[in-house]
Parts: sequence; structure tokens; C-alpha cells
Amino acid sequence: MRVPLSWLREFVDIQLTPEQLAERLTLLGMEVKSVERWGADWQNVVIGELLTVDQHPRADRLHLTTVTVGDQVLSIVCGADNIAPGQRIPVALPGAVLPGDRHIERTEKMGVVSNGMLCSGDELRLTGDADGILILPDDTPLGVPLADLYGDVVLDVDVKPNRGDALSILGLAREVAAATRAEVRQPAVAVEEGSGPSSAERFGVDVRDPDLCPRFVGRWVSGVRVGPSPDWVQMRLLAAGQRPISNVVDASNYVMLELGKPIHTFDAASVGTGPDGRPLVVVRRARDGERLETLDHVGRELTADTLVIADPDRPLAVAGVMGGANSEVSDATTDIVIESAIFDPVSIRRTAFRLGLRSEASSRFEKGQEARMARLGADRTAQLLREWAGGQIAPGRVDTMPHEPSPARVSFRPARVNRLLGTELTADEQRELLARVGVETEPASAGDRVNVALKPNLLAVVPDLSRTLTALVPTWRRDIVVESDVAEEVARVRGYELVPSVTPDTLMPGFRASPLEVRQLVRETLAGAGLTEVVTSALVSPRHVEAFALAREVPSVEGEDQPGGDPIGVTNPLSRDHSLLRRNLLGSLLDVVATNLRHGTPDIAAFEIGKGYAHTGADVREWWRLGIALTGAAGEPAWNRVTRPYDLDDAKGVLELLARRLGLPALEYEPETAEPVFHPGRTARATAGDDLLAIVGEVHPDVADAWGLRTTQRVILAEVALRGLAAGRLAPERAHAVGRFQEVDRDLAIVVPETTPAAAVEALIRAHAGALLRDLSLFDIYRGVPLAADEKSLAYRLRLGAGDRTLTDPELEAAVAGVVAALPAIGGRRRA
Amino acid sequence: MDLAQLTSDLQSLRATATAAASAAPDTAALDALDVEVLGKKGGITAILRSIGGLPPADRPRLGAVGNEVRAAVEGAIAEARARLSRSELAARLAAESVDVTTPGRPVRRGSLHPIMETAREIADVFAQFGFVVYEGPEVEDDVTNFQMLNIPPDHPARDLWDTLYLDMEGRLLRTHTSPGQIRVMHQEGPPIRALLPGRCFRYEAVDASHASEFFQVEGLMVDEGTSMADLKGLLDQFAHAMFGAERPTRFRPGYYPFTEPSVAFDILCVICNGEKCPACSRTGWMTILGAGMVHPTVLRYGGIDPERYQGFAFGMGVERIANLRHHVVDLRQYMEDDLRFLGVFR
Repeated sequence: MRVPLSWLREFVDIQLTPEQLAERLTLLGMEVKSVERWGADWQNVVIGELLTVDQHPRADRLHLTTVTVGDQVLSIVCGADNIAPGQRIPVALPGAVLPGDRHIERTEKMGVVSNGMLCSGDELRLTGDADGILILPDDTPLGVPLADLYGDVVLDVDVKPNRGDALSILGLAREVAAATRAEVRQPAVAVEEGSGPSSAERFGVDVRDPDLCPRFVGRWVSGVRVGPSPDWVQMRLLAAGQRPISNVVDASNYVMLELGKPIHTFDAASVGTGPDGRPLVVVRRARDGERLETLDHVGRELTADTLVIADPDRPLAVAGVMGGANSEVSDATTDIVIESAIFDPVSIRRTAFRLGLRSEASSRFEKGQEARMARLGADRTAQLLREWAGGQIAPGRVDTMPHEPSPARVSFRPARVNRLLGTELTADEQRELLARVGVETEPASAGDRVNVALKPNLLAVVPDLSRTLTALVPTWRRDIVVESDVAEEVARVRGYELVPSVTPDTLMPGFRASPLEVRQLVRETLAGAGLTEVVTSALVSPRHVEAFALAREVPSVEGEDQPGGDPIGVTNPLSRDHSLLRRNLLGSLLDVVATNLRHGTPDIAAFEIGKGYAHTGADVREWWRLGIALTGAAGEPAWNRVTRPYDLDDAKGVLELLARRLGLPALEYEPETAEPVFHPGRTARATAGDDLLAIVGEVHPDVADAWGLRTTQRVILAEVALRGLAAGRLAPERAHAVGRFQEVDRDLAIVVPETTPAAAVEALIRAHAGALLRDLSLFDIYRGVPLAADEKSLAYRLRLGAGDRTLTDPELEAAVAGVVAALPAIGGRRRA
Repeated sequence: MDLAQLTSDLQSLRATATAAASAAPDTAALDALDVEVLGKKGGITAILRSIGGLPPADRPRLGAVGNEVRAAVEGAIAEARARLSRSELAARLAAESVDVTTPGRPVRRGSLHPIMETAREIADVFAQFGFVVYEGPEVEDDVTNFQMLNIPPDHPARDLWDTLYLDMEGRLLRTHTSPGQIRVMHQEGPPIRALLPGRCFRYEAVDASHASEFFQVEGLMVDEGTSMADLKGLLDQFAHAMFGAERPTRFRPGYYPFTEPSVAFDILCVICNGEKCPACSRTGWMTILGAGMVHPTVLRYGGIDPERYQGFAFGMGVERIANLRHHVVDLRQYMEDDLRFLGVFR
């Protein structure tokens, strides 16, 4: 809400500087977003008086004027027609700057020198009039900078949705008064009614849906002359951010800004008549399919939950949202029907959303309106129409709820207020604070209940009356309904800065482990291994989901949500690129690779811990995953290193490191040849017991091409399900006593057919080396002479030992011999 | 052969051997000398082999001389060996020297994402005050995300959360971590000190200060006497932990439907220190989180009696905190994942 200080001052005296006022309002909960100097962009614009106005010698449409600005007389060329000697006008001197960074210099116009410019209201952004020069009152002092006279300060106040009452100059004046202990001057609404038929005789009102329109106040003003509003009105509306339209429309906008009461005006001639021959305003739900062209000249199809203002035949306006073109006030309008109504907030909000028509009016209606304002708003509008448009106000008003509501009673216990706030304020102190915002208090009386909560259903307690007060909440404060609302008001008016600051010393909950323990260890391990953590968007494109779908998902560890089912889509996505929740991290990581390659970073080692999402019917599943991407040089290129590219084994090594740090069983691999995302010959399914389940492999060249990866390097991706990633604890590691007896290494080279996987050889060794085998590692793979072309030699180192003795040579040989004897079973032999 | 002759032979062997030892050019020459003089077939043994031809009375004398000469030669060789090995070592070390001023072999440096790390640091601060971490689902329903937080359908406050809705009846992507409050209340019951970090989603056009996916940390504390003063004290400590013990804070009214009273919590602008700059919209203050006393309606939806219990909640954007701590001005960088940006962080 834009608040010109000059307007605010009509309702309350302000002794503070604008900045001080802004801070006080902010500390009161009315956050001031900015303090704008209205007119700060007028430089070197002063008040002048026209001395002469003559025809330009060489241009029909230009005038040659002389102007005094007090200390000098200037000759200025001007194109406007509304000027005459003796008028006081704004003069932009040479060197002036106008809004829009428009610089004014001495110029020559058709052979005549012009020493500046006479300004229109629009050029100054002071009024809406662009056609003529802004004519100022005759008593405007000569030579004074325009900014000194018409400059203003505009506060931009962020009024929260619960304080619709403060969406007005009057409402904010009440807040200023509370902050500065000043008095609010109530708006002077003096309606000088004319003679003749009363409003009630002029027209009728038939509210057929009172649930959606609890109050309708109407007034009739006849004989208006529609035209521009007075300059000062236009200035004020512009400063408040409202474009001037005409005196009639401006009057309703002025009342909306001043009192917070949206008003609509109808051309009375367009309101159809009822059975008695008088115009009849009908307030009803629209009929399905009924149509109305709104003021923005868009044809709207209405539905049965839309409230309309209508005449007996047709809708005239969408209630609270926008008027209809068929009843719009025009230059020809003479008689006006003023509508000042209270509508159901939910209905207005729904309609505004459905029609995509959210306006200053609808945003006020949807926050709820004070019933009292209906009458006040109608009266004030009538008064302004009389003053600005010369109308005759018909006596009386039409009012469907002539009895004004009384203040609401909200009981509260000062002790509970203190318990909530952590303060020790006396009841009298609390009463005094509430009085500053117009909330009077009295001792609670029998029957008063303290409302602790209204929803899900009323929770009210019968209080100890001697320790309970009842607040009489003024009708505009619709936000104070339960005891804690009173507590906020007490704290707010006193100042949150006075709430004490203490360290909580209440009971601590029992121990509970953090669900982030495993995730944290994984993150630190991978960062330590040279990988960079990334965070990518969970919302991806349909193409993304499709391209990176796995034929066989990586299952989650037991007990966690399993992948599978249908992707979850967003019905109102910001873009198609972010319209589905991802099912795995593979595509997101490939995007990270692509982005960084594009940015000229060729070596990438990245990981992300994030979720996959899917649903089956109403069953939504979210599962945690670790994703890894490697490409480019393994190890940073340097003068003292021979670089080699990352390959599958690097990714497997990362998984093995994780398994070791987490104390998981050794990883086992199986070839994966049928996942379209991956290279069929360079991809593995990996498992470590049932604690780690992964797919790890090179990206299929087709996918790399389709994703436009600018690299000839291989890209390795992994998607890993890991026990504890979702929520898990790290079990303490189990120590093994280091034996006193030496363990012995025996090397064994085994020749097998090329097609025999190393995993099979390793399994055979483990099965046949006997109980003495402590550790087994592959340390070389050899192909070539003297082996056959389809053979390879795998060299293993067997660590053998017994905890209770040093092994003898025969024992060692027996262990090796056991393995060698079993080799033929897999078509292998010991390499001589 | 007589004693005098043999003694003389030994003495002259001693003289030539010690001279040879001190003149030896390298340890190999010493090895040879050792064999030649002291070995089983060496000079001393050869001379002493004649001992049998001496009168028995002279034999011990020659033996004594032999031992003395042997010891002297051994000493000379050892001394020479020590001298030579020092100089050989010195020569080897000299030959082995490298240019120590070249850069080392780089170890690839990983890094942790600033948003994840900031969330962890936030959790660490509150852990000191007994707050433990809980997590809730990201796919939420309207009831938990809004209605149980005292935001009924068609409430004007819904404008504060532009929502991404899902193609499943009543489901949406959580717009804040606040629905976790309801879940924790049901799961734990008072006393509660809970911290809820996580990913959130909004229908929000992306620019330097808005993201449609972002991370929040929510806090919740409920007990019989948990007051706004406790909230203020805790937030002060948090601000001091994250932004320095000297950083002034400001506690002012805010608005959330799920808290009453509601709080906005500011720190003095970290860019201008209150001088009023564009970064703080010329107010001198920066809002770092929203908070308030849990609305009694929310407590009831959480199964807690608001007449007996009360508490506070707070929620902050992790990106906001990270921006201020790391001087990031465009939060799009967090999810662009340019390694040149991320590589700066620990």
C-alpha cells in the first residue's frame, strides 16, 4: 500500500521524520518497504507566471510566451492551448530534469529560442493530464521549486493479509496513532443532501443471496458532470499509485484508498427497472453460462458461484471484482448509483481467481470488510461526487443492514498473556497498551468464556472471572478473535524489542539420533575422495524422465520406499522443463556434466544425495539415492603426473571406499548389459550384502550424443541405494585383535578363458583356499604371449595366516594346492 | 724364523695396511684390504702360521703382537670406512637433490555444497540447545501443508505461498517445511525440540532472489512454559553463532497464519552495517527468518492441548542464510552447479 504522507497527515499529526516513522511502523508490524521522495525527480522546476502568450511567428500550433519566475523573465515556446497570461504554471528551467530522466535545455524551435519548458501534469507525473499545461492556483508562490510545494513522501507499506483494515490511509493513521500516542482525526463525512426524491424512492435494491452479501448500502447522485478530477485529487491518487480516470471513478478510488472501502458506481440510466418502474439493483448468484462484458472489454462466462450485481434482466457487474461495460460511467452519464457493499470474502476471492481478475478492490474484499464502512463509504463517495462533479445527493440511503454491529467481546487472562510472552506485565499495563489501538477492556462478566482456539472446533475455557478481562474489539479489527490474538496486540503495541531474551531452560526431550548421520559420513567421504557435492532440481522434463528410465530400477534397501510406479507430475508447472518429479539422479548428474563441459571444465567428479519420487494410485513414494558422475582426468593434471581418464574402475573404487568406511561387506559385481542408458559392456550391478545396491557404468554413447555432451571422454554414472541414507545410524566398528603371528603372502597366477569373469575366479579361490585365507587381492591381469589369444592371466595375492601359530611351509603349500586343484572346474590352470 | 723377524714382519704389515687403509679411494678397496690383511688367507694369518716354529715361550708374545696388529688394522679400516661412507653418502645425497620449489602433486579436492553445509551448520547450532533433526515428505497434501497450519482453503494468506500442485487429488509439493510441525507433534508430543530441514517448492519465477526449489530449516519447541522470550533468546544465540557475537538483531511483528504472535527476525545488514544500502532495501536491516508462538489451532491439529502447552516455531530459507554468510548475490548459482562456483566451498 502506497501512502502519501500528506494524505496520512489529514488523519493524524506526525512529528517524526519519514524515516523515523517508517521504522516505528515497521516495529509495529506494518513493514515499510521503501520511503520514496515523490517529486525527487523534478530538478530545476519552479513556479512561474505567464506574462504574455502570443502566436509563434512561424508555426501555427506553437505559442511564444514570456514567463516570470520571480527573479528573471524567460521566453519559452509552448505547444499547449490552455494557457493565458496571469496563470501560474510549472516551468522547467534550462538544465532541468523531469521524470523519466528527461533533460530540458535551451533550444531553438522554428527559429525562436526557448529558455526552458512549461510542463503538463503528465510530464511531471503529477496528474494524468497530458494535453494541457498544469495550471496552478493563483496564490501559488512565484519562483519556488515545485518539489517544495508539491513534493511528497510516499511510504510503501507491506500490509499483511490479516490486516485488511490497514489497507487504507485511515487504517494506517490508526497505527501511526498507536505508535506515537497521537489522536486519529476521524474522516469528516458531511453529506449535503439535496432536495427531491430520496435514494430509496429513486431505486430499489433486492439482495437475493444475503449469505454472499450481508450488507448493501446504495446512494443516488444526480446531475453530475463527468470530467477530470481537480488537480490535487489527481496528484494524490497518482502518488498513491492509482491512475486518475474521471471525477466519478476517482471518487470511488479515493474512498477505497482513504477508508479501505471499495465502491462501485453505475450509470443509473443503464440500470433496468423493476415491476414498480424504478431502477432495481439485484444482488444474486449468476446463472451458469450467463455472460458479461467487463470493463476491460473481455467477455466473461459466469458460473453459479459468481455473485453479480444485476438489474432485473442482466448482470451489470461481477460483485467486488469488476464492473460491466454495460453500466460503465461515461461522459454522457448524469445520474449515479453508488454501491457500497459487504461481500463474502471467500466468494470474492474464488471469483477473482477464476476470472484471473485480481484488483485493489477484490484484494480488500477477500480480506473481509468492516460492516460499518459500507455506510461511511457510500456517504463519503456521495460527498466527493458533489464536490468534484457537481452532483445533487438524493436524501437518505438504501441500506439492507441499518443496525451497525457492536464491538466483539474477546476475553483473556493477563497471566496467560504473560506466560505466552515471557513477560510480567500487570493487567493495567496490558489494558493501557490495548487502549492505544482502540481496544477497550472491562472486567470479565459471568458467561464470558476465554476462547483459546476456534478451530478445528471451539476450545473455550471458563475462567476465574477475577483474573480475566474482556476486550471490546473495535469492529474494524477482524483479526482479534482468540486469547493469543490479544497477546500479540499487547506485545506489538508495547514493542517486541521489550520482550526479554532468555535461554530456554525448560525440560529437554530425550535423546533421539539424527537421521543425517549416514548421509553426513557419505558426504564427507566423497568430498575427501575428491568429489564435489551438487544439488540439482528435483523437477525435470518429461524427456528427462523418459531418457533416464531404468529397465530394471535399482531397488531400495529393505524397509525403505521402493522405486517403480508412475511419475508424479505438476499440474501448474513453471515450464515443461520442470514438470515431473525425477525418478533417479542419473539425468540430473549428466546435466551437471554437460553444463560444466560447456563452461570449459573438462574434469568432473560430482555427487548428489537426493530423492527419487513416484506414486501408485494414492500411494506416494520418496526414496533417497546417491548419484555419482565422473569424467575427464582422474587426478588433477600436473607436470608431475601422467594423467589418465576416469573409468569404470574409479567409480567402483569410490563405491568400495564407501563400503569400507561404512563397514559394509565387500562389493560384488555382475555385468549389466541391457540398460539403454548405459554401455552394455561397461556397466555393472553392484551389491554389498543387502546394504548397498547400485548400478554403475559408462554412459551409452547414444545417450551422450542425445544429451549433446561436448566430450570425447567417457562419462561414468552411478545410482546407489544405501542403507541409512534415508535415516540411519552408524554402528560402532568392531575391532579385530591384530595377531602376534606373522601372516604370509602367496602369489598365484591363474590362466582362464577371457570370458570367465574375475568374480568367478575370486569365488573359487575363496571356496578352496581353506580357513587360512585372510585376504585376497587381484594385483595384475596379463594377456599375451605365451597365453592363447582367448586367455588371460589373473594374478592374485593370497594372504594366509592363523591366529594361534606361524604357518609352516606344508600348510601354505596345501592351501595353494587346494585352489590349484579346483581350477579345472572353471577351465583354469595355474600359470607356470 | 725368530720372534724378532716375525714381529718385524707384523709391524711392517701393520704400517703398510694402515697406510693403505687411509689411502683407500673407496669402501671396495677397504673390503679388499680387509680380506688381504685380516682374512682367513690374509697377511696376518700367514705370518702367524709360522708360530709353530717358535719356541713355546715366544709363541704367546708373537700372538700378542698379532692381536695388537690385527686390532690396529681393523681400527684403521673401520676409521677409513666411516670416513668414506660419509663422503659417499654426501656424494649420493648431492646427486639426488631435486628442485624443491616446484609445486607438489595435486590431490583432487572435493567440496561440500554450500546449501547442504549451511543447513548442517544451522542444525549444529540448534543441536546445542537440544533440537534434534526430523524429516518429512516433500510430496504433501493440502490438509497438512495448509489447513492444519490454520490456512483454510480460500484464505487470503494463501497468496504468501504460490503452490505447485500435483496430478494427484489433494496433493502438492510442500511450500515450506512447516507441515513437519504437525507430523512431529503427533509423533513425539511435548516436550518437543525439533528441527526440520528440507527441500521446498513454490510456483515462483526464478531470478536472482527467487527460486522455485529451495531449502528451508524449520524449528519447533513446545512445552508448558515455552515463551516468546525463549524464542527471542534462542534466535539471538543463533544469529550470534552464524553472524558473529557482535551482530545486532531485531525482533519485530510479522504475520503467519500458523503463529500468534508472529515474528520477523532481522540482523543488522551485513553489507552496510546499518548504513542503509541497496542490499537491505535501505532499511539497514536484513530479515533472516520468520517465527512466532505456535497458533493454538495448530497445536490442536497436532494433538496438543493449547490450554496446557504452548511453544514457538521458526523457519528460515537456507539460501538466504548462505547468501549472507558467503556473499552470494544470485541464488541461481546454487542449483546451476558450476564446479568453478562450488569449488570455493569446504
